[in-house]
Amino acid sequence: MANVADTAPVPGETRTTTSAARLREALSATEIDVRLFGMLVALAVILIGFQLLDSGFFSPANMVTLAVQAIPVAILATGMVLVIVSRNIDLSVGSLTGIIAMTYAMLMTDWLPNVLGMGVDFPFRWLIALLIGIVVGAAFGALQGFIIAYIGVPSFVVTLGGLLSIRGAIWYFSNGAAVTRLDPTFQLLGGGGRGSIGELLTWAIGALGCAFVVFALWNGRRQRRRFGFPVRPVWAEVAIGALGCAAMLGLAAFANGNYLPPGLATQYAQEHGIVEPPGGLKVPAGFPLPVILLIAVTVVMTWIATRRRFGRYVYAYGGNPDAAELAGINTRRTILLTFVVMGILAALSAAVVAARLNGATLDIGNSYELYVIAAAVVGGTSFAGGIGTIPGAVLGAFVMQALSYGLSFIGVNSPGQNVVAGIVLILAVAFDTWNRRRAAR
Amino acid sequence: MTAARQAEPASQPLVEMRDIRVSFGGVHAVAGVNIDLHEGEIVGLVGGNGAGKSTLMKVLSGALVPDSGEVFVCGERAHLANPREAKAYGIETIYQTLALADNLDAPANVFLGRELTIGVGSLDDSAMENATRGVMGRLNPNFQNFKTPVVSLSGGQRQSVAIARAVQFNAKILIMDEPTAALGPAETAQVRNLIRQLKEEGLGIFLISHDIHDVYDLSDRISVMYHGRIVDTVRKDDVDTDAVLGMIILGKRPGDVTQEELAALR
Amino acid sequence: MVIRRLAALLAVLAVVLAACGTGTGSQSGSESASQPATSGGSGGTGECTIAVSWNNFQQPRWAAADKPNIQKVVEDAGGTYIDADADLSSEQQLTDISNLIGQGADVLILLAQDQNAVLPGLQEAKDNGIPVIAYDRLIEDPDILYITFNNVGVGKAQAEAVLNEVPSGNYVLIKGDPGDPNASTFLPQGWDEAGLKDKVDSGDITILNGPEGGSGTWPDDYGTYTDAWDTQTAQNNMEAIIDKANADGVTIDAILAENDSTALGVVAALEAKSYGFPPLSGQDGDGANLNNVALGKQFVDVWKNANELGKAAGQAAIQLCQGTAVTDIAIDIESSVAPLDGNSPTDFDTPGGNTVKSLILQPTPLTAADLGTVMDAGWYVTKDEICADVKEGDPGFDACQ
Repeated sequence: MANVADTAPVPGETRTTTSAARLREALSATEIDVRLFGMLVALAVILIGFQLLDSGFFSPANMVTLAVQAIPVAILATGMVLVIVSRNIDLSVGSLTGIIAMTYAMLMTDWLPNVLGMGVDFPFRWLIALLIGIVVGAAFGALQGFIIAYIGVPSFVVTLGGLLSIRGAIWYFSNGAAVTRLDPTFQLLGGGGRGSIGELLTWAIGALGCAFVVFALWNGRRQRRRFGFPVRPVWAEVAIGALGCAAMLGLAAFANGNYLPPGLATQYAQEHGIVEPPGGLKVPAGFPLPVILLIAVTVVMTWIATRRRFGRYVYAYGGNPDAAELAGINTRRTILLTFVVMGILAALSAAVVAARLNGATLDIGNSYELYVIAAAVVGGTSFAGGIGTIPGAVLGAFVMQALSYGLSFIGVNSPGQNVVAGIVLILAVAFDTWNRRRAAR
Repeated sequence: MTAARQAEPASQPLVEMRDIRVSFGGVHAVAGVNIDLHEGEIVGLVGGNGAGKSTLMKVLSGALVPDSGEVFVCGERAHLANPREAKAYGIETIYQTLALADNLDAPANVFLGRELTIGVGSLDDSAMENATRGVMGRLNPNFQNFKTPVVSLSGGQRQSVAIARAVQFNAKILIMDEPTAALGPAETAQVRNLIRQLKEEGLGIFLISHDIHDVYDLSDRISVMYHGRIVDTVRKDDVDTDAVLGMIILGKRPGDVTQEELAALR
Repeated sequence: MVIRRLAALLAVLAVVLAACGTGTGSQSGSESASQPATSGGSGGTGECTIAVSWNNFQQPRWAAADKPNIQKVVEDAGGTYIDADADLSSEQQLTDISNLIGQGADVLILLAQDQNAVLPGLQEAKDNGIPVIAYDRLIEDPDILYITFNNVGVGKAQAEAVLNEVPSGNYVLIKGDPGDPNASTFLPQGWDEAGLKDKVDSGDITILNGPEGGSGTWPDDYGTYTDAWDTQTAQNNMEAIIDKANADGVTIDAILAENDSTALGVVAALEAKSYGFPPLSGQDGDGANLNNVALGKQFVDVWKNANELGKAAGQAAIQLCQGTAVTDIAIDIESSVAPLDGNSPTDFDTPGGNTVKSLILQPTPLTAADLGTVMDAGWYVTKDEICADVKEGDPGFDACQ
């Protein structure tokens, strides 16, 4: 592209008649993120591959397990995108997750009941613990962010220091032992049969998602109409809306195909005075709570990244730090905030991990930093800065966990899993680099 | 153009910089410079590498605080501690490095740091695109790529975005640091037209350039800098390019140059 | 490179500091010469410096049980105890060993992070004429004294307890880190000694997480390894195994987990899936796991009374320092864990083909009924921890009264 690009009106001139070109044109008319779409295809291919290897693989119950296992890393990956986009790195996320998980455990087993006198019956004890965890995460993030942004120590060094020292602190904190027996309500955050929202709410969430898609499309169109901008063709709007709605409701239906485990179903039957049919009662469990948490985190983080000044500044800084500085952006504050966000996400991730384990061990979050960075990178985040999306990173986490879970499922041992994960990471980035170079031509 | 020049002696200067001094570790990058700029005027600022042009302009854009000296904008003493304060005075800078956020689109770049928001502080992308379309329609009607990251735009298009950013926020004073350095011939011509248009609209423009033809073509007056000082400020109509070149290279006014020096130049 | 140079610097520093330490020590000694000697009195033991190089304090038992017992035995005998923690790094451990030797170690007790990577450190100790006790983990070298629990015996005790409870059915094997010979060799060997392999061969027992069609090598291809014995990894793996079993329509009747951190992950997976609690093994006697035993979530925890292991090592180290020949060492520990072959070192043939002198202690399997044993033994886990939330009807209820 050179001087001519200026004088050539972009659309309409290059009408080609090949079907490939027409498909590309149709795709671009829908303005679907092709990269994200590619990731979905990759995930589908992985799932189908495992299904071919083992016909018992692709069931709602199994996919729910997979999703819940992916969530701690996925939550962190949404924040890692912002950190990497702004040309930093956070190696301390695993240790931070570990120490906050230990904080939750200590709070609920020792500090709250023994120091503050909040016994098991104290209302909203789980929420108090969660809020304290979030404050701890934000404080750690702010401290690291301050050293990086205001003192100017490279993030690699600061967070490597954080990785080591925080991991060490966990040990002193807990005297080296696992701490178990959390608040029963808090445990629901870990999912499982009890920590699922049930059939009705799952449908409600699906319907909400559908409504959200329709509203977003309508609102976007209205906004563009307001100024008389070109809008998507109506067929594309309808197609996207229908597809989005179908996806949301389909997901809800699929999640409702995940039934309560037999033990819980029996309990449910007794509580509701239902006579259990032979073969057990099938009670749809629906979305587990951690999935709801991840959806919320993804929506909020996407909103922050694309619709807030802070997010825009993060991307601006990543694309060209000098330009951001010259535009009068408070870049230091922006960088500091990315680490605060990361700390808050570590608190949420730690809540899911601790709730799942019903406690905290010393090794929680070990090597998370690697999985989280891998998820962000597989999801299209570039180390050059300025490029990366939140949904991409979440999908990246799911791709990585799908491989890990699938290999576990078919009985491949962990060394084999690591080999595959490593190769996929390199392939994903290689493909991305190739794809970008091709697009740049 | 002529109206502006006729008004010049009577009107108050848009910018007046008095006795500006900046030194870096003992080196006097700018050593007591006085310079002014009027509405609808283009002042070319030329000189060799290290003559102090860019340093002087950094003072005006708020990127650099001088050791001493004063800046007056419309007759008022201006405090320019950082770029944000300079922008408040209507001083905008367009850098030779094409300082755009590469991965954001044109509207995001135009409004970078001054985004329009709606509701609970969400970015109002449609309004920003609308405003950008408006400015671009004036500056560069052919520009249509409002949704692509600026990294994939041509140099000329990127420069239009940078200029649109200044214009959008009612810049009164524009500092253009090598605005055509990164561009091909056709794009250079396009940007020159843009600069003329801005001048018509009444902006005062400082134009820094290595390209003497650029400067000679566009400027009303030309200030030549040499080792941190202004050699002379001349009306373009009073000199030819050779005389300007002579000042740049020798650091002396045309009248002070000896025949031998001139001969050596040729 | 930088790290190595730094390590060398630290080693030098350590020597200097140690020298300063002895200097001031003797000075204060001469100053207070008129006072009667308070330390030791038992000949040359006051001169003994016993050094311990730990591979990590990540698991609680090392810091809470092994270390204080070694330290107490050494200090009661008038010796000096010094140690260093390598924090799971083989390289760090080599540095630690140099430092400890520099500090004047007379005997080195070594818990190796990696039995091969530690060999240069072992050589350095030998070059300095320092006897080495391989503590809990084997090092392939004929000159060491190997003091450990019978790891094969641990596996045997795990499998015996679980097989006794579930003589036939579907088993899941959760192994530890694939790089640890305990995980890959000794514990499975113990399972076999208890009869696991025979029952698999006879078809009484099916390993659910084994190769399809049962065509793999025993025991390498059976069971699931857990990188770094990580609890969450064990949980994720176990969840996948439960899903797979559900998909195949089979039930899990028993689970052999090699240690407590993996057993904790297994319990979390069983709880997440509301699966109920099939008999499950573990080892180490960690607080959370003993609590699970009392609550009926873990069937057996094979306890290695590390208090006694620490005592044995401390006694052996002091005796070596005093010049006792290896074969003449005699230890005095709790009889239920004492070596079957007597209280003096005997020959042990290693998998690597060496013959080393060894003291091999016996592990103690703990089911809910035996929890009193651990409560009485001065183990670092308190009764409150073991009995937390235990209600009437739980297996550990009686022991907790």
